[in-house]
Amino acid sequence: MKKLDYKGYFFIAPFFAIFLVFNIYPVLLTFYYTFTSYEGYGTPEFIGLTNYIRIFSDTYFYEAFFNTWKIWGLNFALQLGIALLLAALFSDLRFKIKGLGFFRAIFYLPNLITISSVAILFSIMLDWRHGSVNMFLQQIGIISEPINWLNQPVTAQVSVALILTWMWFGYTFIVLMAGVSGIPGELYEAALIDGANRWQTFVHITLPLLKPIMLYVMITSLIGGLQLFDLPMLITDGLGAPEGSLNTMVLYLYNQAFRYNNYGYAATIAYALFLITVIFSAITFKSMYRKSVKE
Amino acid sequence: MKKRFGLYFMLVLMLLISAACSSDTNANSGSDSKDDVLKVWSFTDELKEPIKTFEERNGVKVELTIVPIADYPTKLKPVLESGVGAPDVFTGEIAFLKQWTDRNYWENLSEEPYNADQLSDDYVDYVFDLGKDSEGNVKALSWQTTPGGIFYRRSIANEVLGTDDPNEVGEMMSSWDGVFEVGEKMKEKGYSLFPDEGAIRWFSKGEDPQPWVNENDELIMTDAKLNYFDHAKKLRDKEYTAFAPEWSPSWIESMNGPIGIDKDGEEGEQEATGETEVFSYALPTWGLHSVLKINAEDTAGDWGVTNGPSPYFWGGTWLGIYSGSKNKDLAWDFVKMMTHEEEFLTDWAKETGDVLSYLPVTEKIKDDFSEPFLDGQNNYTFFLEQAQKIESGIVTKYDQQIDTLLGAQVLEYVDGKKTKEEAVNEFYKQVKNAYPELKMPQ
Repeated sequence: MKKLDYKGYFFIAPFFAIFLVFNIYPVLLTFYYTFTSYEGYGTPEFIGLTNYIRIFSDTYFYEAFFNTWKIWGLNFALQLGIALLLAALFSDLRFKIKGLGFFRAIFYLPNLITISSVAILFSIMLDWRHGSVNMFLQQIGIISEPINWLNQPVTAQVSVALILTWMWFGYTFIVLMAGVSGIPGELYEAALIDGANRWQTFVHITLPLLKPIMLYVMITSLIGGLQLFDLPMLITDGLGAPEGSLNTMVLYLYNQAFRYNNYGYAATIAYALFLITVIFSAITFKSMYRKSVKE
Repeated sequence: MKKRFGLYFMLVLMLLISAACSSDTNANSGSDSKDDVLKVWSFTDELKEPIKTFEERNGVKVELTIVPIADYPTKLKPVLESGVGAPDVFTGEIAFLKQWTDRNYWENLSEEPYNADQLSDDYVDYVFDLGKDSEGNVKALSWQTTPGGIFYRRSIANEVLGTDDPNEVGEMMSSWDGVFEVGEKMKEKGYSLFPDEGAIRWFSKGEDPQPWVNENDELIMTDAKLNYFDHAKKLRDKEYTAFAPEWSPSWIESMNGPIGIDKDGEEGEQEATGETEVFSYALPTWGLHSVLKINAEDTAGDWGVTNGPSPYFWGGTWLGIYSGSKNKDLAWDFVKMMTHEEEFLTDWAKETGDVLSYLPVTEKIKDDFSEPFLDGQNNYTFFLEQAQKIESGIVTKYDQQIDTLLGAQVLEYVDGKKTKEEAVNEFYKQVKNAYPELKMPQ
């Protein structure tokens, strides 16, 4: 008879100890805080479900929710569109574009700049009266008067979405290219021989076979996007100006916790955010997965 | 046998690890209990020089940790709450000072052996008062006072107002009507009175000095604060400002000379794009050294400082001893040197031009100051006079955030995005959202 050997547990214990202390414990403690009113010092005061009742009637939270979706949605659509287009170009046998490695590096470059530098760079470029964007657009005659980009809700949201696109399309492109290179070349050759044009090749070969990769890109981007915080925080006043249009969920959480010292309510927002992320990831996964199974 | 070996091996390993850990903690607590290392935390490097002096004098080592101000409260809070790795002395900025005085983070300096209450007559009132908790115990002291004024360009004053004398200019700017009159004269000659509308917020705050929140947790909205909306709107509508918000690149550029401006920018009917020069800036004591001198090199010597419609102060750093410190004697020595030691403070003031709040020293040195940047004006006496006029006891822990929220709504009203009523109501809503415990007016 073989005796069970427990020594293995010793070896995995360090990981679980660290995981318990730095992951599980804070997560559970945060959950406890959602039932309290806590200023960040002293003892939290138990207030039951008050925070949960508040979050359901909090218009600022709803505003933050929709802002986050608008900004992420536009950014993701553009990012994926550009990345797909580039992936199609680079994978096309007829174009035979050289220097994939070079372009990959160039496209990925914006992602390497720290977000604070990006925010400063763009807030200077988008400056109403002195910014190069307005000067350029006026010079080539597209607009006759300077646009105050960061002072109007729609243009501010679009600006942030575009900056995010600029930062992230390279990453998406690289991931998609990895997916494209996994598609057997024979398929393209066969299509070429069968006389399929570029569009047909793209729609019937590249797209379906890229689906799993696109699912991956979408879910990671969604999780990252729902946590959108740094750029809106840095590019205007950190409160979501203009008119609360850059108030994203995590920015709202941050301000409730670290600006107004409402740690209990901020913890509730964190859990709401967690729930939202789980729900939407599940929906995305389900819909994409079901489609690919059907086909 | 093999199994047993494995077990022994594990045990030895764990012993080693725990030994390593405990020797680590030993080393730490060892340096804690040493009396000659003083740990100081602050958010600027201005304590560097004083610390050098302190080290030389006492033959001790001081460890200064500088945390950028944006992270300072967040970094300091857990350290003070847990007491692990806490400093012996730490500074507090006006933005979070009032949140801390009522905690037991700072040692009570009103008690033995510090007896700081005896010093109360030696300090500028409002400065000393701000270091107290709600029960009147002194928790922190400050060496400086940071009243504000209006820094203006002498050449423009001469051209438009016919004088550059600070007293006469101050007389003209001492009421809101006067401010707008000067604004009109400036506009006629193509100058801008202020860089932007935010410049007047301090005067609105100082006009009818009342705390934002009273002891019943009620938000107090004064007429003066409501008038801030109208005054700011008037400045914009009458085109007395240059669209150069504080800290923006154009704000800094405007200190050095004319900046491009297109006053009708947003509204259409474009007028000829022109240039304007900004006449004056509302800045406090430190604005001279940290803002103007650095940025206005071309216009150095062409500046004067005078009063606005009401006295105000902006910023300031307080210093106290951590209540859990094991090094309180040395910590108090440092606080003493920094806040009320005549010899050191005299040198410090002469070297840096910092306006001190410790009156025994300022009385002696104030008449000797002559600032070349301000064409020889004695800004020291001016600021000390302003400091004495500041009402004490009106700062609450909410001020910093509520002021920010108010400013944002004033701007939306000035930009024409909201009516005054909408902006005021949105302001109440946001304050309530930030601080649910507060009761709004109406």
